[in-house]
Amino acid sequence: MATEKTDVVIVGVGAAGGILAAELGKAGMKVIGLERGPRLTTADFAPHDELRYFQRMDLRPNIKRTPITWRPNAGVRATPIPIQNYGSQAGGGTVHYGTLSWRFHEDDFRVRSHTIERYGASAIPADSSVADWPLTYADLEPFYDRAEYELGVSGKAGNLQGRKIEGGNIFEAPRHREYPLPALHADQSGLLFNEGAHKLGYHPFSSPRAILSQPYQDRPSCTYCGYCQSFGCHVGAKSSILVTKLPEADATGNFKLLTGTMCYHVNTDNSGRATGVSYYGPDGSDNTIEAEIVILAPFIYDNVRLLMISKTEKFPNGLANSSGQLGKHLTAHMMAKVFAAFDDRFVNIYMGPSAQKHTLDDFNADNFDHSGMNFMRGAQISISPADLEAGPIGTAMSLEPPPGTPRWGAAYRDFMAKYFTRYGTLVAQTENLPYADQTIDLDPNIRDQWGMPAPRLTYNWKRPNELARVEFLMQKMEGIGRAMGASKVWRGGLGPGAPGAHHEGGTRMGSDPKTSVVNRYSQTWDIPNLFLMGSSTHPTMAGFNPTLTIQALAFMTADAIVNRYKKSPGALA
Amino acid sequence: MTKHDETRRAFLVRAAAGAGAVAGAGLVPDAFAGNLERTKDAVSSAAAPTHPAMHANAEIQGAFFNHDDAATMSALTERLMPGAPDKPGALDASVLNYIDLALSGAYADQQEFYRRGLAQLDAYCGKTHGKPFRELGTAQQDEVLMALDEGKATEFDWPTAQGFFNTLRTHTMEGMFADPIYGGNKDFAGWKLVGFPGAQMFYSPKDMESAEAFSRSPIIGLQTGLVGIAKAPARKG
Repeated sequence: MATEKTDVVIVGVGAAGGILAAELGKAGMKVIGLERGPRLTTADFAPHDELRYFQRMDLRPNIKRTPITWRPNAGVRATPIPIQNYGSQAGGGTVHYGTLSWRFHEDDFRVRSHTIERYGASAIPADSSVADWPLTYADLEPFYDRAEYELGVSGKAGNLQGRKIEGGNIFEAPRHREYPLPALHADQSGLLFNEGAHKLGYHPFSSPRAILSQPYQDRPSCTYCGYCQSFGCHVGAKSSILVTKLPEADATGNFKLLTGTMCYHVNTDNSGRATGVSYYGPDGSDNTIEAEIVILAPFIYDNVRLLMISKTEKFPNGLANSSGQLGKHLTAHMMAKVFAAFDDRFVNIYMGPSAQKHTLDDFNADNFDHSGMNFMRGAQISISPADLEAGPIGTAMSLEPPPGTPRWGAAYRDFMAKYFTRYGTLVAQTENLPYADQTIDLDPNIRDQWGMPAPRLTYNWKRPNELARVEFLMQKMEGIGRAMGASKVWRGGLGPGAPGAHHEGGTRMGSDPKTSVVNRYSQTWDIPNLFLMGSSTHPTMAGFNPTLTIQALAFMTADAIVNRYKKSPGALA
Repeated sequence: MTKHDETRRAFLVRAAAGAGAVAGAGLVPDAFAGNLERTKDAVSSAAAPTHPAMHANAEIQGAFFNHDDAATMSALTERLMPGAPDKPGALDASVLNYIDLALSGAYADQQEFYRRGLAQLDAYCGKTHGKPFRELGTAQQDEVLMALDEGKATEFDWPTAQGFFNTLRTHTMEGMFADPIYGGNKDFAGWKLVGFPGAQMFYSPKDMESAEAFSRSPIIGLQTGLVGIAKAPARKG
C-alpha cells in the first residue's frame, strides 16, 4: 500500500479533469490524475474498424465489468443498460465523442424564471424540479470563449455582440468574437437539410464541432473520413483532451497521470475536510493519495457513487449531502428520430464527421412561442446517420426499416442494398426536464469488477410534458424530411423510456446550500476543498450536447482556484 | 492456402452444404459452388449431417460450433440475409465463419447462450415440424424465424425466443459488415451489397457534396491487398 502527497488529486481526466490538470499545473500546483483506463495516442487510432470501436465499444466502459443498471420506476428491479456512452480512458468521452460544441442559450440558465415570466407558473409541470442555474450566460461567456479557442472549435457565429448573422445560429446567445475556425464542409445530407429547412422558413447551419476545419495549434485539419463518433481521430483533428490539454499538462512538469487506477473512496476527517482519495492500482494494490484539494471529475455516475460510498459518521447521508439532493434530478436527452429515404439521389451519409452534421435551432429552448402548447422547452434538430455513427453495422442496428418492410430476409437485404447510401436521419435532441424522482443511487444487487455496488438509474422519460414535446418535434421533422425531397419519411420507435444520451444531474449546482450540492464553482457547499466536475452539476440540460458547457465550467473553476482559492482556501460562494 | 485454412474452408463448406443441400440447392451461391466441388469428397455427401462419424472428424470441426450447429447456423444466417444473383448474402460473406470465430474469442462468454438457444430452437422445430431447423425447407425456416422474432415460439426459457433472435440478427449483421479481418464480409461481400467503400482515409469536398454513387476509390479494408469496388445497386430510381 503506497501513500503519496500532492496539492491536487483529480479523479477522471476527461473533458473537465484534463482542463483542470493543465490549468492548475500551469499555476504551479502539483497535480496527480487518476484514470481507470489507458492513455492512448493518435497512432492508436489508425484502424478504421467499426466492429471494434462502434459495435464493441472499445473506447467506452465495459458493460459487463462496470455495469450501470436502470429501472423505469422504484417498484421494479434494475437491469444493466446495454450501452454506456461515456469514456473509459485518458481524455474520457472526448476521445470518441461526436464533438458537438454548443454554448447554451441565455434562457437555458434560467429555465424556471424565464418560463414563469413568459407563460406563468402553471406552464411548469407540478412535479418537475426545474431550477435556475446559479450563474448566467454572461458569467460563462468568457470561459466558453476560452474553451473554443484553447481546444479548437469550428463554426460560424450567428450572433456577434447582438448582431444576427444568417448562416450561423441566429438563436445563439451573443458571443464577443467569431469561432476560431470556419465551419466544417457540408455534405450532401447537409445541403439537402439546408435547402429543405430554408423552404420552410427555418434557420439551418453547419453544427459547431470540436474538429479542425483548418490546421490549428500544430494539428492538421479533418480528412472527413467519417470514422468519427465512437472512434478516436486518426490524424488528431478531433480536439479531444488527449491532443489538447494533456500535452499542456505534461509540459508544466507538475502533472502525473496514473492510468489503470480505480478510485474507490474519498477520504475525509472529523473536521469535515477532504484529506484525499484511496484507489486500486492496475496490479490490484490498495493505495492512498493525500491532497489539499480533491477534484472528482469522472462521469456523473461515479460522482454520485463515490460520495455515497464515502459516507462517515460526520456525513451519514454521503459526502456533501446535507441538502439531501445527492443523486436526484437525473436528466437525459431523448433522441427522437425521423428517417428520410431518397430515390432521386445518393446521400452517402457515411462521409464526413458523423454526428448531428447540420442543425436548426428554431424549435429548441424557448426559441418559439409555447403559448397554448402542452409542453415546455424543445430540442435541437439535426441531420445525422441513424445512430450518429455511419457505418453499415451501425446502420443495420439503428436504421429502422419503414412500416411494411421487415428487418430481416430478402426484402430487408434489398432495403439495405438500396438505401444505405440514400438516407438521412432527422434527430431531435430533446431537453427533458428534471424531476426529483429521477435518481442515481447504489444498486443493492449488482456489483462491478472491484466489488463496488453498481450505480443504479431510476428514470422514465415518458411523462406527459416529454411525450407532448416529442410528438410536436416528430411532426416538425416529418415536414423537414418532405421539404428535403425525401421519397419516403417515417418515424423511429420511442423505445422503453430508458435514459438516452448525455446523462446529467445528480449533484446539481445552485445558489442555496439547502437545495443544491455545489455552488457555481462546482465546489461542494459542505466540504470546501472538494469539487465535483462535469454534467452531474447541471440543474437543467438544454437541448444541446453538454461538453462545451462542462469545459467552460472547468475553466471557470480553474480560474477561481488559481486566482482566489489558492491564496485563501475556503468557500468561493 | 495453409493446412489450417484448408481445414477451415472444409468446415465452412460442409456446414453450408449441410444446410443448403437439405434446404434447397439454390441457396448455395455460385461463389461457393467451386469450393463445394473441390471439397465434395472431404465432406462426404451433403446428406446425413448427424452421422456420428462427423463429430469425430476434426477435419470439419469449427473453432466453436459442432457440425450440426454449424449447419443450423449456416441456414439461420442465410435466411436472415439471403443471397441472390448480384446480391451477396450471409453464405457469400462467410457470416458463419465470423460468428464461429467470435464465439471462440471475443464472444466466448456467449457460448452457452448459443448452445442453449440452438437446442431450444431444435426442440421447437421438432415439436412444430418434426425436424431440426437445418432440415426444414426455406419457407418453413422463415416461419420459424418469424415466430422467434415475434416471441411466439415455445420451448424457449433462456435465452428467450426474441433474445436469441435479436442476437442472431446482430451477429449476422456484424458478419456481413465488419471488416474482413474478423472472418466475415468475405471479399467485401457485405460492403459491395450496400455500396460502402470501407476504410477510406479521406473524402474531398467534391465527394461530400456529390449526389452520385462514390466511385473514386476502390473499397479499402484494414489489411493491405484486400481491395474491391463498391458496387452500388444496379437499379435506378
